[in-house]
Amino acid sequence: MSRTIPKRSMQSGVTAQGEPMVWLSGGMFAIACLMIISLLALVLWQGLSTLWPRNYLLYTRPDGALVAGEMYGRTKENGTTKLYMRSGNYDVSNQHFLYADEADLASASPWKPNTLWTVERKEWGNLYGFPKQLSWSDSPSDKFSDEVHAAMKESRSLDQKIALEKEQLKRIDHAISEARLAIRKVELNEKSDLQGDIDEAVAARFQAAEQNSSNWTPTRTISDRAKNAILRFADVSYKADAEMASINEQISQLEAKRAERTVLFELPIADPIGNLELGWDQVLEGKLGSWDAFKELVGPLSIDGETNNNPPTIQVHRISDEQVAWQTLGNGKLPRNFLLRKASPGSCEVFSMREHSVILADIVRFFPPNQLNTFQRLGVYFARWWEFLLGEPREAGIEGGFFPAIWGTVVMTLIMSLAVMPFGVLAALYMREYAKPGPLLSAIRISINNLAGVPSIVYGVFGLSFFCYMVGGYIDGGPAKAGFEPWPSATWFSALGLLAVVGIIAFSVALLAGQMGIHATNRRRWLRNASALLWLATLAGIALLLIKTPHFHGFYQAQLPNPTFGKGCLLWAACTLALLTLPVVIVATEEALAAVPNSLREGSYACGAGQWQTIHRIVLPYARPGIITGFILAMARGAGEVAPMMLVGAIPLATELPLDTEFPFIHGSRSFMHLGFQIYSLGFQSQNSEAAKPMVFTATLLLLTIVTLLNQTAIWLRARLRKRFQSSQF
Amino acid sequence: MNRLKAIADGQTVESVIHEEVLAKDVVLSVKNFNLFYGRKQALHNISMPIAKGMVTALVGPSGCGKSTLLRSVNRMNDLIDSVRIEGDMLLNGESIFSPGVDVIQLRKRMGMVFQKPNPFPMSIFENVVYPLRIDGERDKTVLMQVCEHALRGAALWDEVKDRLHETGLGLSGGQQQRLCIARAIASDPEVLLLDEPCSALDPIATSKIEDLIDKLRGEYSILIVTHNMQQASRISDHTAFMYLGRLVEMAETSTIFTRPQLRETEDYITGRFG
Repeated sequence: MSRTIPKRSMQSGVTAQGEPMVWLSGGMFAIACLMIISLLALVLWQGLSTLWPRNYLLYTRPDGALVAGEMYGRTKENGTTKLYMRSGNYDVSNQHFLYADEADLASASPWKPNTLWTVERKEWGNLYGFPKQLSWSDSPSDKFSDEVHAAMKESRSLDQKIALEKEQLKRIDHAISEARLAIRKVELNEKSDLQGDIDEAVAARFQAAEQNSSNWTPTRTISDRAKNAILRFADVSYKADAEMASINEQISQLEAKRAERTVLFELPIADPIGNLELGWDQVLEGKLGSWDAFKELVGPLSIDGETNNNPPTIQVHRISDEQVAWQTLGNGKLPRNFLLRKASPGSCEVFSMREHSVILADIVRFFPPNQLNTFQRLGVYFARWWEFLLGEPREAGIEGGFFPAIWGTVVMTLIMSLAVMPFGVLAALYMREYAKPGPLLSAIRISINNLAGVPSIVYGVFGLSFFCYMVGGYIDGGPAKAGFEPWPSATWFSALGLLAVVGIIAFSVALLAGQMGIHATNRRRWLRNASALLWLATLAGIALLLIKTPHFHGFYQAQLPNPTFGKGCLLWAACTLALLTLPVVIVATEEALAAVPNSLREGSYACGAGQWQTIHRIVLPYARPGIITGFILAMARGAGEVAPMMLVGAIPLATELPLDTEFPFIHGSRSFMHLGFQIYSLGFQSQNSEAAKPMVFTATLLLLTIVTLLNQTAIWLRARLRKRFQSSQF
Repeated sequence: MNRLKAIADGQTVESVIHEEVLAKDVVLSVKNFNLFYGRKQALHNISMPIAKGMVTALVGPSGCGKSTLLRSVNRMNDLIDSVRIEGDMLLNGESIFSPGVDVIQLRKRMGMVFQKPNPFPMSIFENVVYPLRIDGERDKTVLMQVCEHALRGAALWDEVKDRLHETGLGLSGGQQQRLCIARAIASDPEVLLLDEPCSALDPIATSKIEDLIDKLRGEYSILIVTHNMQQASRISDHTAFMYLGRLVEMAETSTIFTRPQLRETEDYITGRFG
């Protein structure tokens, strides 16, 4: 019997080495890298460059109209170059940004005046203009900067005074609503309507005026509590009335004082004022020709209104062959800016700049953009970042700081972590250490894995309907407000008795099952199952009794119909996110527990340790790095989540922080600002998305940084802790 | 060979236990012990005495049930859901498997060392005093005394006394295994169960462990599972030969290795089979 063995091929073909696969997989890898790098580069560049102060350039159209703005960039589209500029002066021009076609401009060389200021204001966004006159001083133009700086310090203290007064108003308001709430509580308790009595009492108190208390007696019999509450309310109302009047008076005085100091600017908006008989050559040299004619045309050039007899020195800036800018400067003179356009060989058309005054106290920051050197620019840049990170938003979030959004995100994420951690870890612990593996457990595990993939908006809808409307409504106004029909009292109490019996049985059965020891015998496993079922029934019973109770009317019934917890707020947002990240925590914890070597558990059992001792002395410490990693990943996911936030409590502009120095410090029922939501609302919901675009990128950069930092912490922590548990075997 | 063939065919075969073994003081006695994994029977009607203060070795080919028998002594098999047993074992006359027995109490009376060293991820000190820690002992001086005693007992004290509070995972494999032995003897067990304690160690570490077992002889009653015939002959007083879940022959080690009663045992010992 002979077998023929086929001769093996001695050549290695292309399939053996798989050269094409190297290229294919390498190519895919390169594409992936490219996508990541370009995403990062885009966000980094846009985010980092937004706050950089740029040069302000003035272009003109052939007809003399100015096209001016802070240069943000130029783009080429279909062969034409477009300039993208921040024009500012929103209160006058109604736009923040403009696109200009370079072909429409009179010349490609712009005017770059050194005297122009960028002024960041509390309202209306940036102003760009030439400072002309200070309302409180006769300083010459080269002292403007120092004068304004000094005056800003004073006006800041004025603003603080106004804020203090407004705080007072708020406090009084609060006292009145507290007093009103007290009456409402009595009304609810006694099921009465006291409005008539309130009106009488208040009227009586106002009549009694200075006698410090009124001798009002109710016209009908009402309880002492009601009477006291009403008297208190009347008293508070009376005192508040006088106090508020004086505070309002104070405020209006302060506001008036605040509005006293203004800075007059010439905005880069050219208005034609007439023609000047002047040869173009003279214009180019800055020669006035007839001083009287010029005076008549342009108006006063000095502070006292008297037109000086000495013609001013004129600085000439050539814009194009036919257009020229004139600047007049000098001591005791009003700095003025004009635009001159050649009309005919012997005359030219003169444009003056439109005047606009700004309340000094509205100025946040100012600087002459075109004469800053790199270090000064860096100074402005970092000052802006400082404000961005720690300041309040201005101009509906388009300008100023993101601090409330950052703070809101951080506080919400922390509360979420506190909520998700015990649930996730305990659930995973049960599934991995206690539950008997079987089809039921597998089904539950698969379901949890699938939950991690549910679109987050679904959680948002659930959070809104369950947490906000049901749980929140229940807290506010009891079962009726949450949409449940309460049982009659007798039924409810009999149900309570039944539940108590079931609970006791559940407890005893659990004790009995527990005594047999988890692994003691297989025979009476039904006892364990029965105990589990009874516990479930007890829990369900407690829930049922809670939602059917006729004896609970909510903690905030007096405030209704204004919801306290029955709306989107910090607490429900945190709960919703906790639910959303629960699968992440469970899966990570389970994996960490599964990675604990069984030999450790056996070793512990062999030492006579019980199951819980083994878990908390051996298993949990060993699994801790994995658990913490999952936890931080969950936090990162939660911090970046936006869709559910839109439904359960994030708002574009919140006046109060969710965590502050006011008792009780954490305000679970407040709405809050959230970074991710801020990106969405600024970019797509605000009146002025175009103006908000740069800010959107900066906020994106910030969010990315936070999430990356969290992830990096997770990785670092895992590496560090893992080192501790690494065995140097053999 | 016919006896082993009979076992393989599923017939019941009487175990041969020599008189001199039966004559000794008994710390643990196995009584008609059967163990099932689900439907499959892993141990068949095993009866054997484990002598007090001596080293008893269990030998036999892989899968013969040595480890299962050993793990039954401290009821580690309870951790497996499908396990069912019949018969009983007596530890110093007290039943191990009767329904009222508290498994945790039971395990506290024995120590066990596994194939692979399994020190806990904590300091050397904490590793050794772990059995006392779970009993709630907090007295530092007591813990320190026990730790030193156990480490000296495990011949590890001199090597680690200066780094008691460093992690136990930093030790070498042989040291780790001796640490596990220290942990097992820290609570002064009535019987010490060693499940192939040297199978994952190099020859030098193995010889140290063997010296240690030799040293522990007399003070502790030791039941050891081993694959290594030389090891069994070197360290044990009694040897039991098991095959396919049955005890074939048990005698003093010198007897088993020189003039066993059964031809089959001799064949296995001398390597002619298995």
